[in-house]
Amino acid sequence: MTTAIDNDRLSETFAALASSTRRAILAQLAEGAATVNELAEPFEMTLPTISKHIKVLERAGLVTRGQRAQYRPCALDAARLEEVSTWAEQYRPVWEARFDRMDDYLKQLDPQRKTGEEDD
Amino acid sequence: MTDNQRPEDAVVIARSFDAPVHLVWQMWTDPEHFKAWYGPDGATLPVAKMDVRVGGTRLVCMEIQSPSGPMQMWFTGEYREVEENERLVYTESMSDENGNVLSPSDMGMPEGHPTTTEVRVELQDIDGRTRMVMTHAGISADSPGAAGWAMALDKLTAYVRTQGAR
Repeated sequence: MTTAIDNDRLSETFAALASSTRRAILAQLAEGAATVNELAEPFEMTLPTISKHIKVLERAGLVTRGQRAQYRPCALDAARLEEVSTWAEQYRPVWEARFDRMDDYLKQLDPQRKTGEEDD
Repeated sequence: MTDNQRPEDAVVIARSFDAPVHLVWQMWTDPEHFKAWYGPDGATLPVAKMDVRVGGTRLVCMEIQSPSGPMQMWFTGEYREVEENERLVYTESMSDENGNVLSPSDMGMPEGHPTTTEVRVELQDIDGRTRMVMTHAGISADSPGAAGWAMALDKLTAYVRTQGAR
C-alpha cells in the first residue's frame, strides 16, 4: 500500500539520509537532544551550513526542534526512522519505479527492433 | 538469499516485459541502456562502468538534485554470476568515486555492520516475452567492508533502540 505521497515522503527521507554528515548528526542525536551549536562542534562546518543540514532532516521528519527559547534543541524523531528502517521495503518503491521506466524504455526501443536486426 | 535470512531482508519483484530476453539482459549489462532506466526520478547516472564477467567490477554514479544542490552517490560492486540472458548476480556497496568502499564509520555508523547488498536478476523467455525476477537482498553480517546507506540506516535504528528514548 504505497501511495504517491508515501513515495514522495520516502524520497525526501532518502535524500536526507544520503549525506554522511546528516547521518552523523542523527547518530549524535541518538545520544540525546542537542543544540545546533553542540551539533556543529564535531564537524568543521559553519553554523549556517549545519543549520541547513538540520533543516533538511527536519523536513524529512527525522528531526524535531523544540520551541523553547532561542536554542531550539534538536531531537531525533525515532518513529520516522523506524518507519523507513526496513531497508528492503525502502527499496521496493524504488525498484518498482525503475522497472516502470524500463518498461517504457523498452517500448520506445521496440519500433527500431521490429524493423532492424534482432542481433545485438 | 540464504535460508536463515529474514524475509524482510530482501525485496523480490517479478515483472513481465514485452521484449525478448536478450534485450532485457542488455538493460542490465549495457551501460547506455542501464542509464536510461536505473536512476530514481530526478536522478541521472553520469557514470556506469560495468565489467560484466564473474569477478568483474562495476561502478555507478547517481546524481540527485537535492534541496542543497546536486548530490553524487557512488556505488561499487562485483559480478558474482553471469549467465547471459538467464541470470545476473552482483553485489552493491556505497563507495567513493574511485570505487573504494565506504566503511560504516565513514557513514557515521558504528563499526561491524552488514553493508553489502546483492542484486539477483533472473530472466526467462516466455514465447518471445521476458519474465524477470529481481531479488535485492542484504548480505549476512560477517561480510567484510562495504556500506549501503539503507543498511546503515537499519543499523542506526537498531542503535537508537539500544540507546533508548533518552
